[in-house]
Order: sequence, then structure tokens, then C-alpha cells
Amino acid sequence: MAQVIANDEVELGARVSGGPAEVIRKGMSEWLFLVPALVFFIGYQVWPIIRVLWLSFTNFQLLSDKPSQWVGVDNYAQALHDPLMWASLWRAALFTMMFLPGTIILPLLLAILVDRVANQRLATVYRVILLIPAVIPSTLVFVLWKWMYNYQSGPINHLLVDTFGLFTLQNAPQWLGGTALTLPAIAIMEVWWGLGYHTIFFIAGLAAIPKDMPDAARIDGANEWQVFWHVTRPQLAPIMMILVVLRFGSAMAVIDEYLIFGGFNRASPTYTWTIFMYDQAFKTGLWRQGYAASIGMIGAIAMMFVMAALLWIFRPKG
Amino acid sequence: MTLEADHADINALRQEPSSSVGTAALRHVVINLFNLAILLPLAWVLLMSVKSLPDATRGDFWPKHFDFTHYGFVFQHIATLPVNLFNSIYVTTATVLITTACAVLAGYALVHIKPLGSGIVVTALLISLYFPVRVVSIISIYQTQHWLGLINNTSGLILPYITLQLAISILIMRSMFQLVPHEMFESARVDGAGHWRALWEIGLPMVRNGLVVIFIVNFVAAWGEYLFCLTLVDDEAKRTMPVVLAAAQGGQGQWAWPNLAAVYVIVVTPGIIAFTLAQRLFFKGLMEGALKG
Repeated sequence: MAQVIANDEVELGARVSGGPAEVIRKGMSEWLFLVPALVFFIGYQVWPIIRVLWLSFTNFQLLSDKPSQWVGVDNYAQALHDPLMWASLWRAALFTMMFLPGTIILPLLLAILVDRVANQRLATVYRVILLIPAVIPSTLVFVLWKWMYNYQSGPINHLLVDTFGLFTLQNAPQWLGGTALTLPAIAIMEVWWGLGYHTIFFIAGLAAIPKDMPDAARIDGANEWQVFWHVTRPQLAPIMMILVVLRFGSAMAVIDEYLIFGGFNRASPTYTWTIFMYDQAFKTGLWRQGYAASIGMIGAIAMMFVMAALLWIFRPKG
Repeated sequence: MTLEADHADINALRQEPSSSVGTAALRHVVINLFNLAILLPLAWVLLMSVKSLPDATRGDFWPKHFDFTHYGFVFQHIATLPVNLFNSIYVTTATVLITTACAVLAGYALVHIKPLGSGIVVTALLISLYFPVRVVSIISIYQTQHWLGLINNTSGLILPYITLQLAISILIMRSMFQLVPHEMFESARVDGAGHWRALWEIGLPMVRNGLVVIFIVNFVAAWGEYLFCLTLVDDEAKRTMPVVLAAAQGGQGQWAWPNLAAVYVIVVTPGIIAFTLAQRLFFKGLMEGALKG
């Protein structure tokens, strides 16, 4: 079907020439291949964001019978005066700070090690093992770690209580459920999840470094650390920048993990701006989606602002 | 010439004579410690799924008595399990096929047709990677689905699922098609083939590795999606398997730990096996396009 249309369009374009109608028709046939992707991209990404932006200036409540009204910046004013807005942004930032260093430094170290494995078969085995977590779908990673961290029957507490005897059954750490340990616990899980994928990222970067560069430095008497700092690190800088910015973005906007591990207790460290938004939009009262939209926009704009700053800080120099 | 071979050559040259056996051994020890950290949680679940019930409560890593009946039990006694599994397979297959088709067509068009304004499309796709689209858009996607009558509808999930990795898939295909010389398509079209045939007969075989990457990326995204399924679908029987699994509390009865673990193994294994089989093509694709994109 699509083939027939495509061929028709191409033939039409080739046969007739000139005229404004023809230019439009040619343009349409050229866009034809982009139409399916754009329908979904605009319908489920661009339009929803525009609509959320619009909603954030109204008092729309999904379960209310009353028609919604334009309220200007009232939602934003209310959110910015709510201490919970600031607390929830700070909690997201806190999680990001726990997660980001580990998810950059450990894979970098691992990549340098794996990159030097000369045995071809062994190197392949290593890379396959490392990438296994990356092909485990997100929810299944969370379910797995929900069990790992389980208070009574999880293997982590089993190790701490029964094997090492560091805790008793009464004072064993309560990892999940919105305790002080929940954010570090999620950060550890996220580092585990991204470890292999980020390592492969860095391995690709290392492979692109001309091998005579580190060798020349070694001949000049540089030790391994100096080689890393003065040769390898600058070469990896572009990849590191992309990783830092992308992971900063995903860490600030975490939501599924908090839904599964944290719940809707407002005092929980997992009650970040994403959960605040979700709570207002789908849980509380008459689903104040106008207000929720403003919370979402504040969170999104705040993190985009930092990401732009990061891109500027790490911009290629010279 | 495979990538692994390339890599081995480089590594062989890199081995400086001064590097002793000791440092090499240390290197392997450290790498394998990381590997162990990755594999242990998975091994724990696998062993849990074949533990006898008393062993499961004891908490020992290695079971005293193996019991392989849990796999049969979960299919017979957990009422919604076959339906949930079917939902997952159905939604994921549809998502992967539609997204791949969209991404191949768009990637080809952005490189080899280049309609006026395609630069704007690429910019918009790139920006969407940095904006928390999924989180913020959930509010109005709920309204869109409501308006389309797709709330609490399993098939309705396919629509937002397609966009989960659509932008990155298009960008991957775009960088794959950039590796194919323009002249190859030109000459095919001079011979009378349309864009469609040029893409199907010449383009697709050339971007095979990239296809593997976006197959896997989209499979992982759709198979494990949580937020949309939780928000847009209420009935347990209409949800996908991972979302039901995330809500299950381990304990007694049908959700005893070995049963939960058995369901987990059933759900997680297909992806890992598919990846292991396709890993050579996957890595090639990653190196060629995905990481550059």
C-alpha cells in the first residue's frame, strides 16, 4: 500500500515540472517517509508538552465538572511558595549527586581495564556480561533490587545479619519504603544497571584514541596516571560530557523507581518533584492537573537550566 | 574483518613490554569482581526459582533441595499470568515493529531525501532527548488516551510506547544511513527504482547492525515500561507482566518467593538470550552508529 503511494508520488514528481502546485506536491512526496515518525513524535511528545505548558496556566482538574479557567501564573506562584516544591527539587538533586559520580567513574575505570585485555575471546565474554544489565528492562531491574533490599528475606540483609552478624533481625537496615537509606539504595541499583552500558561507551571512546599518543607519552617518561590524565582524559572528554549531561537529566527526572520504592509519603526522600507532580495529577483531590503541570514545568525548566550550564562548562575549549 | 579482531590487533600493539604478569592478573581480578557484582543478583533469582519452599525462607544462597515445579505452578495457579504475558508480548512486538519501520523511513529520508526543513526535525529530536518528556507529558497523554477511549485498554499502550525510544531510534538510523554513500541510492533510482525500492533492496541490508540495536533498545523499553502502564491501565488482567510483578508482594501462597522468582526468570530470559545471540551485530551497530549518534 505505502509502496504504491510512494512510487506514485515519485513518478508524479519526475513527470511534471514547474508550477507552484508542483513544488508543493514534490515537497509532500519528499516528506512522505517522515510522516509516520512525525505523527507519533508530534502526537505523543511535542503536543503533550505544549498542552502541559498550556494547562499549567489554567486551574484544570480532571475529575471536576466545572469548566477550567485561565489563571495566568497563579499555579507557578503557588508552587514556588510551597516549601514542598523546593524540598522536592532538592531531593532530586541529592539523588543526582549520589548517583552521578559512581556512574561515570566506575565505568571509566572498568573501560580502561577491559580495553587492555588482549585475549580477544575473553574481551568479548567480558563485554557480554557487562552489558547484560543494560538489556534487562527497567521495571525488572527495579523488581530484582526490591527483592535484594527486602527487609526480611532479601539477600543483602541476610548477608549483613546471618553471614557477617553486623546487625540483628531487629536493627537490620530498612533500605526501601522512604527511609534515609532509600536514595542511596536506588543510586547503587542505578549504578549497577548502567555500569556495563557506560563502560561500552568509554571503550568505544578509547578505541578511537590513536595508539601512538599514549605510547609517545610513555617513551617521554610519563607514568600510567600521567598518561591517563594528560592523554586519555582529554580525548574522552566529549563522551564524558554527553554522559554527564544525559545521566544528570535522567537522574533528575527519575519517577518509576520512586513510585515502586517510595510511595506518596510527603516526608519521604523519594518524594521529588516528579512524584509531587504525579501525586497532584493522579492521586490527590480532584486531580489538579493544571497545578501538577506547573510543578512539572518548574522541575523540567530547572533541570534544563542546569544541563545548559553543564554543556557550557564542559564546552570544547580552544 | 570483525570488530573483535580489530580490537585485538590494537590491544596486541598496546601491550607494552614493561606490563608484568602481575598487573595483568590484577586487571582480570578487578574486572571479574565487577562481573560478579553484575551476575550475583541474577544468580540469586535463578536459584530462588528452583528452591524448595523451606529453602526459600532460610535465605541460603545454594538450595539444599531443588524443586523445579514452581514454573508449572505459576502458569496453573496465578490466574492472570498467561494474560499478562500475552499483553507484554503483544504490546512489545507491535511497538518494536512500528517504531523500527518509522525510524528506518525517517532515517533514510533525513539523509538521502533531505526535504526542506529536515534540519528542524533533527534539532527537535535531539532536544527531546534532553527534556524529561516522558515524565511531564504523562498528564496530557492521560487526557489524549481518555479522549480516544483508550484508558484501561492494552492496545492503547502501543501509541505512547512507540515514542519511548523513537527519537533515539531515528537518530541511530540516521547515522547508519550516513555511512551508505549517496551514489548507491542515486544509481538505483536512475535505473528506475523509487525511493521505496532503493531503501528496501539497497538500504536495509547496509544498516542491518543498526536494526539490531534499535530492535533491542525498543524491546527493552517496551517490555519494561512502568509509568504509562501503571497510569493508563487499571485492571490487573490488562496490564503487562513486569507491572504486575512490581506490585506483587513476596510471601506466602501464589506469590511465594520461588514462584515470584520463576515468573521473573520467565520474563527476563528472552531478552538476555536474544541479546547474547545477537551481541556481535549489536556491538558492531553500537560502534558504527549508536554511540556516534
